[in-house]
Amino acid sequence: MTTNRPYDPYDSFKKYSELWEKQINDFIYLWTNNSEFVKMSKAGAETQSRYLEAFRKNQEALAGVLNIPTKNDLANVATLTIQTEEKIESLEEQIWDLQDSMKTQSKEIETVVEVSKEIIKLTKQLKTELVKTKKELADSKNIQSELQEMKLELSKLNTFKDEFEILKNLIEKDKREEPILAGAGSAK
Amino acid sequence: MAVETPNLFPPLDFEKEMKRWKHVFQVLNEPEPKIGHTPRNEVWKKNKSVLWHYPAKQKKYAIPLFFVYSLFNKPYILDIAPKASVIEGLTNRGYEVYLLDWGEPGFEDKNIGLDTYIQKYLRTAVKRALRHSGAEEITLVGYCLGGTIASIYASIAEEPIKNLIVATVPIDFSTIVGPDKWAEGLKDGTINVDRFIDVFGVVPPAYVEGMFRAVSAPIYFSNYTMLLNRAHDSRYVDKWRRMNKWTTDQVPFAGEAFRQLSNDLFKENKLVKGELMIGDKNANLKNIKANMLVVSSSNDNLVLEPQSLPIMDLISSEDKTYKLVEAGHVSLALTGLFAVVVDEWAASRSNPL
Repeated sequence: MTTNRPYDPYDSFKKYSELWEKQINDFIYLWTNNSEFVKMSKAGAETQSRYLEAFRKNQEALAGVLNIPTKNDLANVATLTIQTEEKIESLEEQIWDLQDSMKTQSKEIETVVEVSKEIIKLTKQLKTELVKTKKELADSKNIQSELQEMKLELSKLNTFKDEFEILKNLIEKDKREEPILAGAGSAK
Repeated sequence: MAVETPNLFPPLDFEKEMKRWKHVFQVLNEPEPKIGHTPRNEVWKKNKSVLWHYPAKQKKYAIPLFFVYSLFNKPYILDIAPKASVIEGLTNRGYEVYLLDWGEPGFEDKNIGLDTYIQKYLRTAVKRALRHSGAEEITLVGYCLGGTIASIYASIAEEPIKNLIVATVPIDFSTIVGPDKWAEGLKDGTINVDRFIDVFGVVPPAYVEGMFRAVSAPIYFSNYTMLLNRAHDSRYVDKWRRMNKWTTDQVPFAGEAFRQLSNDLFKENKLVKGELMIGDKNANLKNIKANMLVVSSSNDNLVLEPQSLPIMDLISSEDKTYKLVEAGHVSLALTGLFAVVVDEWAASRSNPL
């Protein structure tokens, strides 16, 4: 009968308690698991409900006379707060939506701005190029006018040449006529 | 005459006994253990509900997890103790975690029904979590009744829900735990909560606890003898205290939601039949197309496997997995095992970064 295990009185106590618990619960189960018990509990619950209902009604009536708030009044006030909270919440959600749409809009605007920046850059480039071409155009005009002048001068030169040619011809004629004239003179 | 004298008084481990009683007095006198140690911040608050965000230690997944807990009990079971916490386990594994704490409904919340909870609280919370995380999709994780709520929500959701994980979830209420005559009474209308709720507004926590006690074990004291038996082990005592705090820390239940739960789900089993209406929408599980993981625990004595299993045939998801885990209804979360289960499945479905 000797054991070297130290004496633990709680071990057996625990085992017994578990046994008792199970037995009591099984007994209660058997005792309550029938339609009579269910009907009885229903009747009990109904009576209790009716009694409580009447009691609450009287309380309300009495509180009305005494002019003091009841739990119901407080609950009504609390419900108002909850309603306000809900409204604020829906407002917050609307603000979110607005924020979101603002964000997408601002993003769109940013892209538009970027595009327009590029356009501005391009136009600036175009402008400088335009100025350049204008300058070139002016230059070419100058050249043209100069050319025209030159042409004119050239044409003038041409007439001069013609005149010169005529003169040359005349001189040559003169030269040819002179010996005849000399010959005629000697013959005289 | 050398008779061995029987050892009538076996040796008593004095030190162990001292420790045992010290711990027992600690349990009796010291304040309750602090719970909720994983760092978190509040994202959104509405009425009594709070949406918490637990940042990942090192973010590894793009899609955050969104926990929907049951309306019974408090959600801190998911973050009960360091190293055993489900949420801590998941943040350590690189998930961003959101948790919707429903809060404790007061008398003024008696008109909150399942539709209000789903449309005005859960939906908004999911939206907020999506906005807060900047993610494009989200994984919903529902635990116990939270799984039922998450499934109902997923069937009418417009938000991008990529994955849906439900654990120990009651979907089919044709089998209910507890005495069968009670279930019969509930189905044929003998037990009717309407009047009770009209009078009470919200179901008081004591009644909620009583209801759970009634279906599992009306007389329950073996937890105390168990504590006495193992009180010399400080680690066990710590675990016991946390568990005890959680089990006794019941929340009231909003009346309208309880009425719907009792009439639409328990009594008429509308979710399985596809007849449940949430607001003006028909919450038909057929509409769920998200990747689905259903986790059941084998030793669950509150939500039985046949209650969870039918969801597999009702949804129209292509990627669906059913997993039976060796655990109990609460111990799945209590031991942190749930984090491992979630991670195994969700890792490949959460867009790793």
